[in-house]
Amino acid sequence: MMETAELKQQVKEQIIHFLNLTTVKPEDITDDEPLFGEGLGLDSIDSIELIVLLSREYGITIQDPKEGRKILTDINTMVDYIEKNRTK
Amino acid sequence: MPYFHQSVCISPQNSFPETDLSRIRESKNNWLEATEPDYPGIPAAVKRRMGKSVRMAVGASIPLLKKFPPPDGMVIATANGGMEDCIRFLNQIHEYKEGLLTPGSFVQSTSNAAAAQIAILTKNHNYNITHVHRGLAFENALLDVVMLLKENPQAGYLLGSTDEISAYNYNIDRIAGWFRDEPVLNTGLFEKPAKGTIAGEGAFMVWMNNERTAAQAEMMAVKTIHTVDPGLVLKTMEKFLSENLPSGETPDLVLTGENGDIRMAPYIDIVESYFNESVPVARFKHFCGEYCTASSFACWLAIQIVQCGFVPPLLIKKKGSRSSCKRILIYNNYRDIQHAFILISAVERV
Repeated sequence: MMETAELKQQVKEQIIHFLNLTTVKPEDITDDEPLFGEGLGLDSIDSIELIVLLSREYGITIQDPKEGRKILTDINTMVDYIEKNRTK
Repeated sequence: MPYFHQSVCISPQNSFPETDLSRIRESKNNWLEATEPDYPGIPAAVKRRMGKSVRMAVGASIPLLKKFPPPDGMVIATANGGMEDCIRFLNQIHEYKEGLLTPGSFVQSTSNAAAAQIAILTKNHNYNITHVHRGLAFENALLDVVMLLKENPQAGYLLGSTDEISAYNYNIDRIAGWFRDEPVLNTGLFEKPAKGTIAGEGAFMVWMNNERTAAQAEMMAVKTIHTVDPGLVLKTMEKFLSENLPSGETPDLVLTGENGDIRMAPYIDIVESYFNESVPVARFKHFCGEYCTASSFACWLAIQIVQCGFVPPLLIKKKGSRSSCKRILIYNNYRDIQHAFILISAVERV
């Protein structure tokens, strides 16, 4: 099983790739920085891209939008959810 | 009469933000890729989602939308829209077996994405349309604005075009014979005519209205035709000129879309040979490459030329003996079948 730190690095790289954040590097994203609004400044279209990312890369299906907002708060919450729920 | 006002052209050459047509940038691997600015006017979060064609169109429109009042309509030409995003979306469908797909590539790949993005960024809810008629997309957009200005003489419109090179489609077109198999530079495109040409891309935006004051050029007429008969092209041009120029007069410059493809040569030859030796002939596709809306680059060139009365030497095919350049006939040919004539004139100052 992948170490948490390694998984965080992978998720950051995937976010940059999926969202085409060409000017952002993985080290620019801190683990507790909000992904939406302030911080990385993502928006609602990005949240759909991230939900697709979770499905494709980790086999996680998010049905409830409220649940999605909690999971996608920051890197820590995303990685925590992935570790507990991934199917691949 | 419709007039062209300020325009912006993002092209493979030095056209934006500064214009320098005394030098030519060389193609690479039979591509003439547009040189993009940094687009400071496009918000970063919006820009990162944009494909190249949308980015070029929006980037070219921003200086005009800052300068002029909100347009009464936005009329954009693009034959293919965001081709790279289209391929990305189709690949997703295949890769994920028509399952969960992301919206970004789909939204950006639609033909009307450029016009829509410009409208969204400027919160403009007026007439918004995209013309997609392959090699005549720009001419149809231009015709649309001309008709709109007849109906609404006080209005002002944003006319534009955009098309990008897509690696996937380039390969399909190359296999189909539309692009050269052997390496050729744009600077040597006309030296050894053969089947195929080089690929290009770019975006053009111009403000149009019926006000002569401060206009940069006058839009006299546009005519399109589908045919594979060079004789019919000649007849169409003769009629077009007789309807739009004073009897016995000819343009001061013929600007053709010659692209080094021998299949287009009969049309170019018949158009050029119609005029006597005094009429200069210039060509533009070694500057911009071949793409569906390449005639918009010619339109931008014509606007520059009638303002300064000088034809950049790198464009000239036949010098002629005219002392001024006030009226330009653009003839473009797309893939042997779509032909267009545009007549542009210097603005008569009264």
